[in-house]
Amino acid sequence: MALLLLVPLGHNGYIEIVFRNILMYAAMAYGWNLIGGYTGYVSFGQVAFFGIGAYCSAVLSAHNIDNLFADVALACVVTALFAVVVGLPVLRLKGHYFAIATLGIGLALSDIVANLDVLGASSGLAVHHVDEPHFYVYYYAMWLVALGSMLGTYFIARSKLGFAFVAIRENEEAAAVLGISATRYKVIAWAISGMMAGSAGAVFAPANGFLDPSIAFSADSNIFPIVMGILGGVGTVAGPFIGALILAGANELLQKYFIKIHTLFFGAMIVLVVLLLSRGLVWLFGLKGGARTWLKSLTAYKA
Amino acid sequence: MTAQTASASGVALRIQNVGMRFGGLWALSDVTFDVERGSVLGLIGPNGSGKTTLMNVISGVYRPTTGAVRFASRRIADVPTHEVCQLGIARTFQIVKPFASLTVRENVAVGAMYGRYGAKRSTRASFERAQELLEIVGLARVADRAASDLTIPDRKRLEVAKALALDPDVLLLDEVMAGLNATEVDEALELLRDVNRRGVTLIVVEHLMKAIVSISTTIVVLAEGKKIAQGAPADVLASPQVIEAYLGSRWVKRQEQLKIIEAERADAARVQPPDAHA
Repeated sequence: MALLLLVPLGHNGYIEIVFRNILMYAAMAYGWNLIGGYTGYVSFGQVAFFGIGAYCSAVLSAHNIDNLFADVALACVVTALFAVVVGLPVLRLKGHYFAIATLGIGLALSDIVANLDVLGASSGLAVHHVDEPHFYVYYYAMWLVALGSMLGTYFIARSKLGFAFVAIRENEEAAAVLGISATRYKVIAWAISGMMAGSAGAVFAPANGFLDPSIAFSADSNIFPIVMGILGGVGTVAGPFIGALILAGANELLQKYFIKIHTLFFGAMIVLVVLLLSRGLVWLFGLKGGARTWLKSLTAYKA
Repeated sequence: MTAQTASASGVALRIQNVGMRFGGLWALSDVTFDVERGSVLGLIGPNGSGKTTLMNVISGVYRPTTGAVRFASRRIADVPTHEVCQLGIARTFQIVKPFASLTVRENVAVGAMYGRYGAKRSTRASFERAQELLEIVGLARVADRAASDLTIPDRKRLEVAKALALDPDVLLLDEVMAGLNATEVDEALELLRDVNRRGVTLIVVEHLMKAIVSISTTIVVLAEGKKIAQGAPADVLASPQVIEAYLGSRWVKRQEQLKIIEAERADAARVQPPDAHA
């Protein structure tokens, strides 16, 4: 992670953007990992938070406020509120039903924004943006967002909060009997997870300089973090970062060398990850001794 | 009766006219009894007699259709499930529910974090408490293993440790001895006696008659959702109604017939002269 601080010193705009995207996806993957990995609620709606965060920056920019700290702060507040309001009904659903409902949230938001003239509707709007030589601020801001998401996950995983999340994933009824209010902690998990994705969006919008619904709520931003979270290791601290590095890196290379059919390769990769590495690399090489665990994970996957 | 008289008379838990209906079936009807503070109440009955349903009502998982369970001055049905343990009631599950991916120590620590005194405990203090409890229930040797690796008797012990981590006044034990061998049952009984000596009131559901008789101070018998007997273990087991519920009315009739036949034989023997076969 610290090594990535060096990237902008190369003064190569393309490389910088590639790695900034890796950091962005890493932050979103951390967000997904908190609700999907630790708490066991597989969300397909993280892009909603990303989009909300991005539009927070756009709105601030429209009011002539271009301060990345303000962008991230507003994104955190709005995504957390959104998570509470939407989470209270949606987090009552379980398994596939929850996944489908969250998928709908992203799609619905995209449509709503596309019809709101205040937010530029479907033609989008410009976001205040600085170019070289100060372009690197976006890189470092994204680095901080990713680092914050990683450290947040690290401390949460070791805290009472983290144990409540895992207890809910393992057995909600047993968790309730031990004094854990499932509704409360699920909403907390989702709010924090939303803040991570929202912060990434808040930095992305000014870095990109332009925002429309298809960018803010793109399918890539929705699916990538999930696959990265799974590839890296569900419910682990290192997993999302490793997953983002590998997957976003691979995506970039495929795009560079197989421009016409890179999505085909990429799709195949996603299928292979889900089939063969459903518990992720961290579990494969890390805590629980190699090949046997991996073989077990092939037959007995539990989301 | 008010809560004041309840506590003055040493009643921990008051089950008042509890009825529970599932569709057209009354799994419990009009069940009433008190649980003395510091006692061990054995809850027995044939399969399907409503024992587990009653446990679920007491622990707040089910809301009774009629009647109420009162603990101190509170109606359990008014309290959300996750707050029942804050009142001082804990339970184990008949079908054990460990958090499979967590270690044994973490499983117990979660109880210590969110149970009755959890708010005052730091993460570290919770782990220390978990370690103490694992030593009490005899799981310290497997504290760092994943809960999913445990044997059945150890899983049952884990359930007890998790429940104890909530610092309860009343502990409901739903078949913690099922599937254990004779030695393990003795160990489990010793553990429960130890817990009871620490001042925890126990409500024990168990099929194993020997175990329940040896540990209970009072036994309540359910059959088809109704309370059919209550009292000291020896008295309850001698009750014809209880025998009938367990072994069926035909068995009771046959016992009566056997008694008659035996009496007739005895009479016949008395009538015969002592030198008859000489």
